[in-house]
Amino acid sequence: MTRRLLESFGAAAALATVMVLLATGLVGGQVPSSTPWGHPNLEGIWLDVYATPFERAIGLGDREMATAEERAGRDQARMGNPGRNERGEDGRRDVAGAYNAVYTSAKPAGPRTSLVVDPPNGRIPLLTPAAQREIEVQREWRLMLLRNTETCRSGARGCAGGEYGPPSPRRFDVAPFYNTGRMNRHDGPEDQSLGDRCMTGRTPDFNGFRRIVQGADSIAMGYDTGQGQGFQRVVYLNGSHPASHIRLRHGDSRGRWEGNTLVIETTNFSSKFPFRGSGENRRLVERYTRVDEDTLDYEATIEDPTVWTAPWTVRQELKRQNGEQNRIYYEPRCHEGNYGLPALLVGRRVDEQAFAEGRGPNPFSLDTATCVGGLED
Amino acid sequence: MMGHWFRGSTVVTAVTAATVGAVISVAVAGIAGQDRDQPTRPAQTPDGRPNFNGVWQTVNEAHWDLEAHEALPGMVMQDGVYDYEYAKVPAAPVVALGAAAGVPGSLGVVQGDGRIPYTEEALRIKEDNAENWIDRDPELKCYLPGIPRAMYMPYPFQIVQGTDKIHMTFGFSNAARVIHLDDVDLPPDYTYMGHSVGRWEGDTLVVDVTEFNGRTWFDRAGNFHSEALRLTERFTPMTADAIWYEVTVTDPETFTEPWTIAMPLYRRLDPNATVLDYPCIEFAEEFMYGHLRREQLVQRWEGETMIVEITRKVPPGDRLHEWYRR
Amino acid sequence: MSARPVIGCVGAIVAICVCLAGANVPVAAHHAFAAEFDADRPVEFSGSVTKVEWVNPHVWIHLDVNRDDGTTEAWAFEAGTPNVLFRRGFTRRSLLPGTDVLVDGYQAKDGTNRANGRDITLADGTKLFLGSSGTGAPYELARPGVDTADPR
Repeated sequence: MTRRLLESFGAAAALATVMVLLATGLVGGQVPSSTPWGHPNLEGIWLDVYATPFERAIGLGDREMATAEERAGRDQARMGNPGRNERGEDGRRDVAGAYNAVYTSAKPAGPRTSLVVDPPNGRIPLLTPAAQREIEVQREWRLMLLRNTETCRSGARGCAGGEYGPPSPRRFDVAPFYNTGRMNRHDGPEDQSLGDRCMTGRTPDFNGFRRIVQGADSIAMGYDTGQGQGFQRVVYLNGSHPASHIRLRHGDSRGRWEGNTLVIETTNFSSKFPFRGSGENRRLVERYTRVDEDTLDYEATIEDPTVWTAPWTVRQELKRQNGEQNRIYYEPRCHEGNYGLPALLVGRRVDEQAFAEGRGPNPFSLDTATCVGGLED
Repeated sequence: MMGHWFRGSTVVTAVTAATVGAVISVAVAGIAGQDRDQPTRPAQTPDGRPNFNGVWQTVNEAHWDLEAHEALPGMVMQDGVYDYEYAKVPAAPVVALGAAAGVPGSLGVVQGDGRIPYTEEALRIKEDNAENWIDRDPELKCYLPGIPRAMYMPYPFQIVQGTDKIHMTFGFSNAARVIHLDDVDLPPDYTYMGHSVGRWEGDTLVVDVTEFNGRTWFDRAGNFHSEALRLTERFTPMTADAIWYEVTVTDPETFTEPWTIAMPLYRRLDPNATVLDYPCIEFAEEFMYGHLRREQLVQRWEGETMIVEITRKVPPGDRLHEWYRR
Repeated sequence: MSARPVIGCVGAIVAICVCLAGANVPVAAHHAFAAEFDADRPVEFSGSVTKVEWVNPHVWIHLDVNRDDGTTEAWAFEAGTPNVLFRRGFTRRSLLPGTDVLVDGYQAKDGTNRANGRDITLADGTKLFLGSSGTGAPYELARPGVDTADPR
C-alpha cells in the first residue's frame, strides 16, 4: 500500500508538473497561453495583415463582412495599379511622383467591410458643430495659400471649394489654428506636416506592426508604422493617470485584466498631435483578447465629445508575425535621417531668392502641397 | 488492483493540481488587492529570476563625462583672464544661465585607472569633440542616444521583463531597446541603439550588444566610438531596488584595449512612478532648422538685454549641415 | 474621369497636380518632393555605388557618377523608405559599394549634387529592389511590376 501510495504521489507530481508546463507552454514548442505570473500571454509582433476600408461604403448598410467578389475586386484594382511607376509627361508631375513603386507595399483586401464596427453602419458619428467649424477654418486657410497656383487656375480637385487669383494678402499670417497638416507654404518647421517633421505616429494606430513585451506590472508596445513614424508606449497595470494638464503625444495608458481581456484606458492626450481632429479631450479604451496562438482580437473605442457626437469603435484581427526575422522591427523612426525637412525649407528659400531677384516665379504660384500621394490625417 | 491504484492516484493528482492552481491564483489575487499607486513587487519573478520590472534611473554624473572630473563653470567654456586650464569661464551659449550652466564634478565611472584607453588618433578626435561639443553632440539634435548612454542619461526609463524579451523604454526621445533572450536574426542594417542578445548567468543578466552604426557618443564630453563597438553588459541585483550595472566596451578601431564602466541603477520608488516623455524632436527644431526660417525668430536684442552672436562651426562630414548650411 | 483604373487627375493639362493611385497603399508619401527638387533640372546618370544610407524616411544612395569627360563626381540620390524593403528581405548587403546603377530623377533646387532617384535600375535594366529577397513579407499583395518582374 505504501509503495503504491508513493507511486501515486510520483505520478501525481509528474502529472501536475506536466500540467503547469503545458499551461506555460514550455512543452510542445508552442507559444505559452499564459505568462508565468498567470496573465494571458499577448507577447509577440502583431499586424493587421489585411487592407480594410476605414469606414464602410454607404450602400452596404449594417453589413460587417465583405463578399468574396468584393474582396477580389479590391485586390484586382490594386494589382493593375502601376502606382508610382507611372512617369509624368512633364517634369512637375514626374518629380511629385517621388520614387518608383518598389518602395511601396500593399496588403490584400480583408474580410471586413470596414474597420469601424460601431456605430452599426460602419461610419464614424457626426462631427460636432465646433469640429465642423474647425475643419472649415483649416480648409479655407489651405485653399487661400493655393490661390495663385495652377491647381486652382485649372480647377483641379486639390482646389475644390477654392478660387484662383493673385497671392492672398493673408499669405504671411500665422495660421488661425495649430497646423499639423501640409500647406502650400514653408516659412519654418511649423508650416510642415507632422509627417514631414517625423512626428506623425498617433495613438491609436491601426496600420503598423506592434511588438508587445509583457511584464507583470507593465506592458511595452513598440509600433512600427508609416515611413519611420514609429513610437513606443508603456501601459501601466498599476497607478493612475497624471493630472489633466499633463499632455502627452500618446497619452497616458493604464491597463487592467478583465478575465482574459486586457483593457487599456488612455487619457492625457495632446492637441499638438490630433487624431482625426481630436486632441486633448480624447479618451481611448482598447481591448486585447488572445483568440488563439496566432491571433489577437483588438477593439478600440474612441470618444471626444468636443469632436464626435458619439463614441465609435474599431475592430481588428491582429496576426502574429515571425519574431526571428528581426529585420522588420529595426528602429522605426525617421528623425535621424530626416534630410527632407531642411531640404524643403532650403528649396523654398532658394525659390524666394530667385523671385526677389526677378529670376523665378512667385513661390506662392507653385503648388507644393496637394496631390503628392497617400493619406494625410 | 489496477482500479485501486488509479483511484488512489487520482485523488492525489487532484490535490496536487489544486495546490499548484491555488498558488498561481493567490499570486494573481495578491497583485490585485494592493494600493494601485504603490504596488509591492516580489523580488523574484515566478521563474526565479531577479525582478527588474519598473521605473529605473541612474543618479550620477556619468552622462556629463565618464571619466573623473572636477566641477566646471560652464557646459561651454572660453578662456578667462588667465591662461590656466582651470581658469576658464562660461562662454556665450550658456553665460545667461549663470550657475545653472555648470557641470557637476564626478569621481568617474571608468574602472581600473579611470582613463578611457584611446588610440593616439582617436584621442585627438575625442579632444576635438569635447572642444566642439555644442556643434557635434548628437544628443543636442535629439538623436537616439545609443547604449550605454541611454542607461545613464538623467531621465527615467521603464524596464518590462517579458518571457523571452526584456524591453526598455526611455523617457529621452521615446528611445527604446529590446533585449532578446531567444534566437533572432540580426537587424538589416546597423543601428543607433544596438542589437542586444541576453542570457541569465545565475542572478546576473548578461547582454551582448553589437551592430552599432558608430553615430552615438558615450557622454557630453566627446567620448565616442566606431561601428566596430561591441558591449557586454551585466545587470546584477544589489537589492530589490538597485541594480549593479557594468559594461565592458570593446572597439579595436578606437581603443587600445577593452575597458569597463560600472554604476548603480536605482528604482524610482515614488508613488505612481511613471516615465514621462522628453519629446525633444520638437524641442530641437529651432536648434536644427531655425536658420532656415523665412524670418528668424532670434533677433538682436538691445539695451539692458544681452546681445549674443554665436557662430556655428560646422563639423566636416555632417551631411545635415554640409547640404543645408545657409 | 478617364476610364483608367488609376485615380488620376482630370486630363493631361494639369502640370503639377498628380493624384497618385498609390492612395490605396498604407504607406504615405513622406513629403512634398516638388518643394525639394526642381522639375526643370532633370538628371540621368550612370554610376557606381559608394555608400547607401538605409535611413528612415528615405534611403540615400551615394554614387560616383560617370561624367562625359571621363571623370567621376559624387552624387546622392533620395529613394524610398527602407522599412518596406527590409520586410521583403533586403538588407544593407543587398546593395553593396561597387554596384553599377542607372538613375534618372530631378536635381535639388539649391543646385547641390543631390537628386531624387525617380527611377533607379541596375545595369541590366531591372528595377532595383524589385520583388523580394529570401523569405520576404508573406502578407503582401504581390503586384506585377512592383513585387514581381512581370509587367502588367
